[in-house]
Amino acid sequence: MTLLRRLQSWEGFLLAALLCIIVMNSILSPQFLTVGNQINLFQLSIEKVIVALIMTFVIINAEIDLSVGSMMGLSACAFGWLFHQGVDPVLAVVICLGIGALGGALNGWFIARVGLPSLVVTLATLIGFRGLARVLVEDRGITDFPDWFDALGQQGFLGPIPFALIAFVVLFVFLWVVLQRSGFGRKTYVIGTNREVAIYAGIDTARHKMIIFTASGLISAFAGLLFAARVGAVRGDVALGFELDIITMVLLGGVSIFGGTGTLMGTLLAILIVLNLRNGMALVNITGHIQTGVVGMLLIASVLVPRIDLGRLRRSKEETA
Amino acid sequence: MTAPVSAPPPSAGPVLALRHISKSFGMTRALSDMSLSLFPGEVHAVVGENGAGKSTMIKIMTGVHQPSSGTLEVDGVALRLSGTKDARQAGIAAIYQEPMVFPDLDVAENIFISATGLGLVQNRAALRSRARSLIDRIGMTLDVDRIAAGLTLAEQQAVEIARALSQDVRVLIMDEPTASLSDHEATQLRQIARTLSGQGVAVVYISHRLEEIFDVADRVTVIRDGQHISTRPVAEVTPDGMIGEMVGREVGNYFTKAPSHTRPEVMLSVQNLGCADAFEGISLDLHAGEVLCMAGLVGARRTDVALSLFGIQPATSGQVAWLGQPFHATSPAQAIEAGIAYVSEDRRKLGLALPMAIRANITLATLNAILSRLGLIDRAAEQGIAESFRKRLNIRTPDVETSVGMLSGGNQQKVMLAKWLEMRPRLLIFDEPTRGIDVGAKAEVHDLIRTFVKEGGAALVISSDLPEVLALGDRILVMREGRQMGILDHDDATQETVMRLATGATSLKGAA
Repeated sequence: MTLLRRLQSWEGFLLAALLCIIVMNSILSPQFLTVGNQINLFQLSIEKVIVALIMTFVIINAEIDLSVGSMMGLSACAFGWLFHQGVDPVLAVVICLGIGALGGALNGWFIARVGLPSLVVTLATLIGFRGLARVLVEDRGITDFPDWFDALGQQGFLGPIPFALIAFVVLFVFLWVVLQRSGFGRKTYVIGTNREVAIYAGIDTARHKMIIFTASGLISAFAGLLFAARVGAVRGDVALGFELDIITMVLLGGVSIFGGTGTLMGTLLAILIVLNLRNGMALVNITGHIQTGVVGMLLIASVLVPRIDLGRLRRSKEETA
Repeated sequence: MTAPVSAPPPSAGPVLALRHISKSFGMTRALSDMSLSLFPGEVHAVVGENGAGKSTMIKIMTGVHQPSSGTLEVDGVALRLSGTKDARQAGIAAIYQEPMVFPDLDVAENIFISATGLGLVQNRAALRSRARSLIDRIGMTLDVDRIAAGLTLAEQQAVEIARALSQDVRVLIMDEPTASLSDHEATQLRQIARTLSGQGVAVVYISHRLEEIFDVADRVTVIRDGQHISTRPVAEVTPDGMIGEMVGREVGNYFTKAPSHTRPEVMLSVQNLGCADAFEGISLDLHAGEVLCMAGLVGARRTDVALSLFGIQPATSGQVAWLGQPFHATSPAQAIEAGIAYVSEDRRKLGLALPMAIRANITLATLNAILSRLGLIDRAAEQGIAESFRKRLNIRTPDVETSVGMLSGGNQQKVMLAKWLEMRPRLLIFDEPTRGIDVGAKAEVHDLIRTFVKEGGAALVISSDLPEVLALGDRILVMREGRQMGILDHDDATQETVMRLATGATSLKGAA
């Protein structure tokens, strides 16, 4: 069984699971398949699923970015603070995106150029970015953003479809083409599979990792702004702990934590599964804690199944060697 | 071949004996009918070419591998060692070229690292005094409270030996212990070997440095192609006789030298190239159409020279001229840009992304050439390249989507070669191009190298396989411990002359 086929079968499994959940949900509740519920289901987690797209790149590259939740918080809080300092809100948005790119580049510099493990670097910036966010807004909540900003997060942009959902779809299509069809995507896989092989093939792996981490910071900052717009208020604990939900979705999508394998389609399917599962359980009044437990069990299965396969592969290789 | 009768053993019976031991891995026979007796109090040197079976023999003695047939006897009793722990219990221990010490612990703690039953609250004073007596026993002066991080390699070796002694060792195997040591440190280590043998320990000493074998050993065993060739007291051995026995085979049995395609123009000119802590004083001219082989033993640092030319490990001294221009690569991308390719010896770690498709591996180094203006991969072009190499190099696979990890070693090697040929290099550096692949694939790789130079390319081939070196090389550069020992023309080169340079038995004065 080639790896490709195994991945396809994992995605097939996700698709089957998704269809089961959708069928079950629509039986359980007539509300489920309405446009309003479907949009609502995305809207509640839209910031996380946007970041999950770039997190797919990070993990396929055999790295991790724990600082995304804190960067979302920092960007949202920086926007609130700048706005209340009287900075033009459009300029504030640009500055916040700049902070995101800069913070991501900082992660990337330590990881790619200095050579520190991403787990440690982004754990440090998880703390650092969050600390900055709290310094900016202290323990206040900041509200009263301009109407257009709130409307962007709270109302339909194209008919009933909110801006964030459109942004998600556009970003998905763009990143899908990059990851699955471009040279950059190919290099992402090679570096994640075996960085030494990439270096010996003349690929500038440090530059590649810099780009990915910068993009991760930038997209996280963008998602933080979307959060501020949707909620209409920011506090120091915006997006606290989001990184874990985001990483869960990516791993559930079949992306290996060891790098090199997984697809953006897998991540999308996992996103849909998690959202529909939670929505369905909520519709039949299953509490949030149990929902979380079910998602956790799914994650264990997703990590376990490919590992069992890998073990078999390794054993058969030893026998032929 | 009959083994000459050995000299009378130093004392009664052998402490460890291998009797008619054979060991196969799949189709490969690593040892066949190997017999060897070790007596208390002797230093017994084992010599042979790379791949002669020395490592397999050690692994059988230390219980890492179990023999396919034959027996291993300790004090005349047949024993089955099913792991290193069994070997340790029987009093057999080994130390290697790279000592294993824990840098944050002190010497005493390192010595007793694997000792069990000492309890959590050890009597530190007792531990230290025992460590001191072990260090004394091997005749070293070393403070047992020192942190291991600051120890020299020889001192680390001493710590490892003391660790072995702490568990009542009767057979100590030293596997190329001096390969990375300076001359002074190597002398220290040989003294330790002598001291221990004086205390009744049987020492197995494996080394590529022939001169130290004459210094330290009581008896010498030569093995070749997994077979025992001879065991003699060192006094009856001459360097030439030993090398002749190590090399053995008739030249030209497997491979015959093809006519040279060397053209007059120099493509690569290297002057006095050096790289800190790796090699120095490498000078060579490589012509268009020429195959220059680099011969040497493990630790000769030939790969380091290749990595310098390829930009992985930039040279720190000397000059390189490439196609008439000064050239100093500081990254593989620069070397590739200049038309230099390096085919790594370790295809699993450095050469191939094993889980990925053959197609993706072949285009890895030339990906930018098949990208559209928007950076997208031209899949039809990629497919075409992969298919053409599949036919041209006879890569046996159902299709080019198959992941490389599923292929046999020889076919993996061809995929790796395809990756570099696709780049149309002017200079191809091959590092052990046929290691671990079968004879048929070997011949195909040789043909490929010859075709490449015939079309005007230049090839630098690092190989530890002497028949291969003699079959391929228009000239042969021999290295030893980071130094260039000489360059031989093909007509002057024999296995004996190459080995003599590689082991340091002689050096070519004024060569290159």
